[in-house]
This record gives sequence, structure tokens and C-alpha cells, in this order.
Amino acid sequence: MSVPPAAGAADRPVQHLDAMPGMAAAFARALAPSRRDEARLPRHAVQVSGYRQDPARLAEYSRVCGFTLRDHVPPTWLHVLTFPLHVHVLGDRSSTVRLAGAVHVSNSMTLHRPVGVQESLDIAVHAQNLRPHRRGALVDLVGTITVAGDVVWEGVSTYLASGMSTPGEPEEAERPPWEPLVPHATWRLPGDLGRRYRRVSHDPNPIHTSRIAAKAFGFARPIIHGMWTHARALAALENRLPASYRVHVDFLKPILLPGPVGFASTAREHAIDATVTSRDGSRPLLRLQVTEAP
Amino acid sequence: MTHNAVVVGGNRTPFAKAGGPFAQASNHDLLTAALDGLVARFGLAGERIGEVAAGAVLKHPKDFNLTREAVLSSALSPATPACDLQQACGTGLETTIYIANKIRLGQIESGIAGGVDSTSDAPITVSDPLRRTLLKANSARSAMDRIKPFASVRPSHLKPQAPSVTEPRTGLSMGEHQALTTERWGISREEQDELAAASHHHLAAAWDDGFFDDLVTPYLRVAGDAILRADTSVEKLAKLRPAFGGEHGTMTAGNSTALSDGAATALLASEEWAAAHHMPVLAKVVDAEVAAVDHPGGDDLLLGPVAAAGRMLERQGLTLDDFDLIEIHEAFASTVLTTLKAWDDEDYCRGLGLDGKLGTIDRARLNVTGSSLAVGHPFAATGARIVPTLAKLLHQRGAGSKGLISMCAAGGQGVVAILEAV
Repeated sequence: MSVPPAAGAADRPVQHLDAMPGMAAAFARALAPSRRDEARLPRHAVQVSGYRQDPARLAEYSRVCGFTLRDHVPPTWLHVLTFPLHVHVLGDRSSTVRLAGAVHVSNSMTLHRPVGVQESLDIAVHAQNLRPHRRGALVDLVGTITVAGDVVWEGVSTYLASGMSTPGEPEEAERPPWEPLVPHATWRLPGDLGRRYRRVSHDPNPIHTSRIAAKAFGFARPIIHGMWTHARALAALENRLPASYRVHVDFLKPILLPGPVGFASTAREHAIDATVTSRDGSRPLLRLQVTEAP
Repeated sequence: MTHNAVVVGGNRTPFAKAGGPFAQASNHDLLTAALDGLVARFGLAGERIGEVAAGAVLKHPKDFNLTREAVLSSALSPATPACDLQQACGTGLETTIYIANKIRLGQIESGIAGGVDSTSDAPITVSDPLRRTLLKANSARSAMDRIKPFASVRPSHLKPQAPSVTEPRTGLSMGEHQALTTERWGISREEQDELAAASHHHLAAAWDDGFFDDLVTPYLRVAGDAILRADTSVEKLAKLRPAFGGEHGTMTAGNSTALSDGAATALLASEEWAAAHHMPVLAKVVDAEVAAVDHPGGDDLLLGPVAAAGRMLERQGLTLDDFDLIEIHEAFASTVLTTLKAWDDEDYCRGLGLDGKLGTIDRARLNVTGSSLAVGHPFAATGARIVPTLAKLLHQRGAGSKGLISMCAAGGQGVVAILEAV
């Protein structure tokens, strides 16, 4: 479980941007290996105010991820809107952690109330909670979306910066026990899914679209973006989601494209558990849990 | 054992012009939006409804279970069954009849009737020769056999096929058919433009009164019917050029319905179910009838509802005077006008096997909150738009008020129904 978001600490300086920054240049920069191995984070938050959502892009996002196009947007869509600011924060000179090459290990978000496609959003992101991990350093990127001063959505994306160090002893991560299951759905992920998701997420990371880039990072084929899998799993639960909720995912294994995966979900009294598995249900690839909003 | 099937209420999306604000929404998205609004309005989240019946005229092959899929995306209980039903532009009324009949027979206690169409997201298919070639290649056993059929493909076969509203047996579009009818029945341009202007003015007044506040839920930033032109007038409509019937034709884009996107739903139930769930009860479904004409033999394509209405009134022992309100679907202004003329034509009615003409109506009772010319006409949705609208209007007039719905549909068909306020 990750740390609950501490929305913009009062003493945190805020850098206001006029518009959502592009990501291509930041990614190119980030591909150059960092010479520093001690992880350091910028202290400031970045914010874009009055962001207008693009209904046509939302429609395409919904089609790619399996959501029905509604007036109220999926929380994973709101994450996608914060993502350029993740890249921007870590692209700062004061940061030694680079997003490209970092591994997205878990994600938590809270939808405090339904958010309409017509609403104008104030989007802020900062990095915090640098902590050691046995394979590097973990960092949380915290996104906060407010509408007219009310926090409507919060997200915490936890990334592992492999090989980087930060003082302290790594926490022993406890993995919940795994029992193989019988999937009750098979999703056949097509080869162009990475490209289709890139069009709606605007995330230029070539590991999702290029075989060569994927090989460079040690994968035989491109891997689908974890946030697509997250969104697809949430879309499979769309008729059971309450008006406000918290959703947590652990990204356990990359999913290679093209290929089939399994899916299973269980509704409990105050929670829904869902798992994306290997096709036969023997290995977990992503675990998701929906709970009531705190 | 029979029950009364009552209209509890309805919900629809606003309707908008094809390629407009709903251009990115699929039939699934639109139908789910209409269902979502109905669920919210009547507190149906998690409720198992007896059955949901809806349909679309322009349907993608992947949407073979369109209605069930929309139910699964909605907040209704996943244990709610659904079926797809299609009777061209009569779909939304035919689904109402299907659900009402099941309720009356005691097979279900509650049901949702609906319809949706997106002319923006219409399916594009391959030409028939190419389709046959692909099927042949697909079933071939050897590689050579798989390639061979493609030798017969011609460039013209590669053109994608957009769906058209052309009658397969006559090759005429609906507008072209109606232009023949308009000419034959001597319907003037002025009458058509007057009816179109009245439709816009009635709809605008109803929106201003808040009449649609509990019938429509906004969708994708659209709060009201986007085709509505409150400031149109007979003078403005008179300036439009003919769209059908040649250069001297009287049918224009202003007095014909626009291609539209939208979805509509109606909640029906037995009186017992409605009472047990503390639901309002607006009107009961009294009777319904469908009919068809021999348009390949030269009959007027869109006058199918005349025989349907005549037979239904004879069966019920009712006359047109018994109706407080009449809803005639405005496929074209001239469809409404020829229907009215045909109702009052002794020879035409006797030719249909009726005892005599149906007579005339007081025009003040016709389409009092506007109809398809102003609202728009997402084909399958229109019937499910009219049913809750008329039920609410009748309910406002008091118990016993009767309303007649008349809808024309492709294939020379007509669907009619009677509602009565309870």
C-alpha cells in the first residue's frame, strides 16, 4: 500500500505553467543516462490552472481503454492529464531521478466526486517520499486536481528508480499471497495497442511501441503501458463503481504485445478485487482494488 | 391474468445533428447515457428490471447485443436481460409495445423500452462483391484457393459502402418517395413550412416551460435539443431550396428531418410494480397496431400508419374525436400533412379495408410540444422519445385523457399506439 497523498504542503513552492508542457523533449533528455546515483528530488510543485478537457480525446481514450463515453470521466483519464507534469517535475535540474527508465510499481487514486468532461481543472504535481528499495529508490509523484478550490481527485504514482540510492534501510515489501485462479475473461491485446494508447495518453515512451526500444530495456517485444491495463481493468468494473472511490493497483509484471491475458474480479462487501493474469491464470500481472473513498 | 402496462417516465439524451456534438459517441455510449439518466431519475441502481428492449437502425455487426451490452455498462443489475429489436423508424414504439405486452401478460413486471441511432458513427462496410470474395477466401482450404478469389476484385469493389436510407426495392430514398406522395396528395410548400415552424415553436416553448427537465439528461456538454431553431419562421423556411422532388419540389431541409444522433428510453411497469416501488404512473398503454403498404407496387411509402390507426380505432370503438392529443412523427412535414389528408379521405380509407374515413382532427391537439422536425430524428430513438412525452402530457390533462401515436417507418410500415392517462 502506498502513502496517502499529502496535497501540496503549505511551504512547497509552486511553479505555475501557462499550458500543459510537451513530453517528447523531456523524454529524449531522460534517455541520456544520469551520472548521479544518489536520488534527489525537486522540492517545488508544478501547476497548470484552468485546464480544459478535450472531449474528442476523451472519446478516443474511452474507446482504447474500453470505457463507455460518459459525461463523468474515468479517474485514470485524470491521471493521464497529470502525466506531463510528472515528466516536467522530474525533468527539473534539481532532480537526479529520470522518469524514462523508472518503473511504475504501483498507483493509487481517489476520486472524491464525479468529474465532468466540461469541468475546468487545476492540476498540480509534486514529488515526495523518496525511500530506499532493494533495487534502487522509490519515489511518489503526487497529483492533485481541484475544481474551483475543491479537491476532486488525488493520485499517487510510485516509481522505482533502479540503481539509485537514498539513505536508509529498504522496507520489506510484503506481497499478498497468490493463488492461481481461473480467469473469467480473456483480453486479446493487439500489436498496435501501444500505438493506439500513445495517441490518447501522449506518453512518447518508445518502450510501448518499438521493438528496438523494448529490447534496449530487456523486453522481447513492446510492453503495454501499465496505465492502459489499469484503465482496462477499471473499465471492466464500470457498472459497479460508486460515485466516489479509491483505487489502488500494483504493477507486478510487464505485459508483452501482442498477446492474450486473463482477467478475474470479485466483489466483496466494501471492495472490489480484480486481477489481470497470464492467460491461464497462473501468474498475476496486475492487481487492483477498489475501496470506498476515505 | 392480465395487467395494466403503465408508462412510469422516460429519459433521453438531447438530440443533435449528425457530425455534431455527439460525433464521437457510439450507439453503445448514447444508449448507456440514456439508461444511466433513467436509472438516476428513478433510483434503479442495482435493480433487476424484467427486460430491456431497444434497437438501432444503423448498427455495427459488433453490436449484435447492443442493448444487453448497454445494460451491462449501466448501473442496472447485471441480472437484467435485454434484447435488440428493430423496425426501422418505428423501433422505439415497437419496443414499447413489446415490453407493454409482456407486462400485460404478466411475464415481466417492469421493463425499459428504448432506441438509439448515431448517424455520425454509422457502420461502413465493404462492397458486396468484395465481401463475397473475402468470405470465399476465408473458407478456402489451400493457400492458392485463398488467393484465387481476389483475381475477380475490381477497383470499384474497394469503395467503402456507407449505409443509405434507400428503399432496397425501389432504389428511392425516403425523401424521394415522400416527394412522390407530396405531389400526389397536393401538399403545398406553405403548409409544410407552417408545420415545420410550429414544430420548432412548440418545442422551444416546452423547453422554456421546463417541460423536458424530467425527460432529458444532458450529455457531453449538450443540455438541450441542438437542432431546435426557436427563432425560425415561415418566412425564413420559405427561403430554403428544395431538397427533394426536383427544382420545383416543395420539400426542403427545413421541412424534412435532419440526420441525427441520440437515444431515448421509457420505463414501463405493471401498476402493482409501480405502486410497490413508489413510482409515478403517467399513462397506460391501451392498444397498438402495425401495418404495411405495398410501396414496391406504387403505394405511398410513408402512409403505412393510416391502415394501422384505422384498424386499431375500429377495434377499440374509438374515433379521432376521442383523443385529447395526437402525436404524428414528423419524418417530413408532408408526411404529417398527407397522413391527416388520408385520414379524411373516404376512398383511400375504404381502399385499405376500413369501414370509412377516420375524419379530421383539431390541429391544436397535434404535436403540442413539437416533434421530429425540431427535435431531430435518431431513427430508432424517436418512438421512445414520443411515449414518455405523450404520457406526461396526458397525465397533466387528467385521468382518462387519451393520446394517439402514429409513426411511419421504412419498408412501407406504420406503427400506432394508444396511451390513456391513469
